[in-house]
Amino acid sequence: MNQSRSIKKEAQLVRLLVSRNLTVRYKRSVIGVGWTLVNPMLSSFVLWLVFANNFGQRLASGQQYAPYLMAGTLLNAFVTVGITMSANSILENASILTKIYVKPQIFTLASAIAGLVNFAVGLLPLALVCFIAGQPLSATAPLVVFVAFFLVLFVAGAGLALSVLFIRFSDSQSISIILLNMLTYITPLFYPITDLSPKMQKVVSLNPLTSFLDCFRWSFSGNASATLGDWIYIAVSGIVMFAIGNLIFSKSWKKVVVMLG
Amino acid sequence: MKLIELKKVSFNYRVIRTTSNSLKELFRDVLHGSVRITKLEALQDITFTLESGKVLGVVGGNGAGKSTLLKIIAGVLPPQDGEISVQGTVAPMIELGAGFHPELTGAENTIFFSALIGRDVKEVKGQLLEIGDWAGVTDHLDFPIRSFSSGMIARLAFAAATQERADILLVDEVLSVGDEKFRSATRKRIREQLALGTGVILVSHEPSIIRELCDEVLWLEKGKIRLLGETDHVMDAYQASQLS
Repeated sequence: MNQSRSIKKEAQLVRLLVSRNLTVRYKRSVIGVGWTLVNPMLSSFVLWLVFANNFGQRLASGQQYAPYLMAGTLLNAFVTVGITMSANSILENASILTKIYVKPQIFTLASAIAGLVNFAVGLLPLALVCFIAGQPLSATAPLVVFVAFFLVLFVAGAGLALSVLFIRFSDSQSISIILLNMLTYITPLFYPITDLSPKMQKVVSLNPLTSFLDCFRWSFSGNASATLGDWIYIAVSGIVMFAIGNLIFSKSWKKVVVMLG
Repeated sequence: MKLIELKKVSFNYRVIRTTSNSLKELFRDVLHGSVRITKLEALQDITFTLESGKVLGVVGGNGAGKSTLLKIIAGVLPPQDGEISVQGTVAPMIELGAGFHPELTGAENTIFFSALIGRDVKEVKGQLLEIGDWAGVTDHLDFPIRSFSSGMIARLAFAAATQERADILLVDEVLSVGDEKFRSATRKRIREQLALGTGVILVSHEPSIIRELCDEVLWLEKGKIRLLGETDHVMDAYQASQLS
């Protein structure tokens, strides 16, 4: 069949889809890319106003609350927005997928990568906040690349698994928003994990996003401690999530494609 | 050379009969045991071949399975029964303008669409003017597609899809859109590619187009082959049945 296209052609399509995704998003908003810079700063500022006097006082010594919040907000936006967008990508492009043969997973991956670009842009204001808080960037900052890579796998995998549900059940979108919200709260976004009860600490440290966040904060500006175990955990959870998502998707695609109309 | 070969291909839509497509309600219905799955046969035992340089017309009423057939050949829908083999590159024109985004420019959309159907983006960038010229929209290439008329969109999509010769063209009602000038230009381009060995599957409701272009015609009725054979023979029978 003609359907085994070269990897080069598929990579070119992913590249075009990512840029299409970003251009369309930025063309719709007046301040365009500026919004991506301002948005995480605004939301972390609100969190800072509310929590600076309690959680902010109880971070480990040497850690700064403003960059702590901002890193959490950035990573959380990447995960929640990324998963939602990539899960939606198949439905959104149904008119293409029902008329032209394209590997559907390409759309999901492209949405996750578009989320990554936003995340990367957000590193600029994060660096600014670090500077204002008087925290120098670490020499380990390039390691953020690994965090981002495994996070893309994680987001794309979750998006693929969810996309099947999104096609089949229209109310699964609102249910997924609730679940993603829960996930946000068991990630130490605005609180230090040491502030929780021992039982809750266990739950929160099982959440892979906690390890992602620790690795991210530690490598960017030394604003957390990350163990080797954390690094292994993010690699494993990224790869496993991607594999599971692909498996679920390829098993159910035949059944759901007819529902795209 | 055989470009397309279908052997006893069947396709049915499995539809879960619930009151709505809500997860909560499905859960309730499963508990009550009131979920029913019905099969809707869209295609049954379809067998035919398409040789290079030939045009196969597909006719039939609404819901006969014409579009499902094209989608299976395009690789969009997986056949559930039977064998299908498709050799070579496919340029699907199941809907002109599929894949175009209204906010993006004519040039951006042309490049994106070409990548979708598996063309090399670098080459397409060099052919943009040629594509725009053929479609008569060169002056508009840098404007968003939402400012294009439907005729301009159709011309641009057709030009992009046929810029490079594909081994197989899948054409659904595309030749009946646009003005007389566009219609004759599209026919001319299809003939050029036929001469080079392209095979075409052409779905149309217009008997005159089918009679003009097709070597053979497949008449579908409720998902089954009613008649398959030489154009005039099938079209005489088809048109007679339409009148009665």
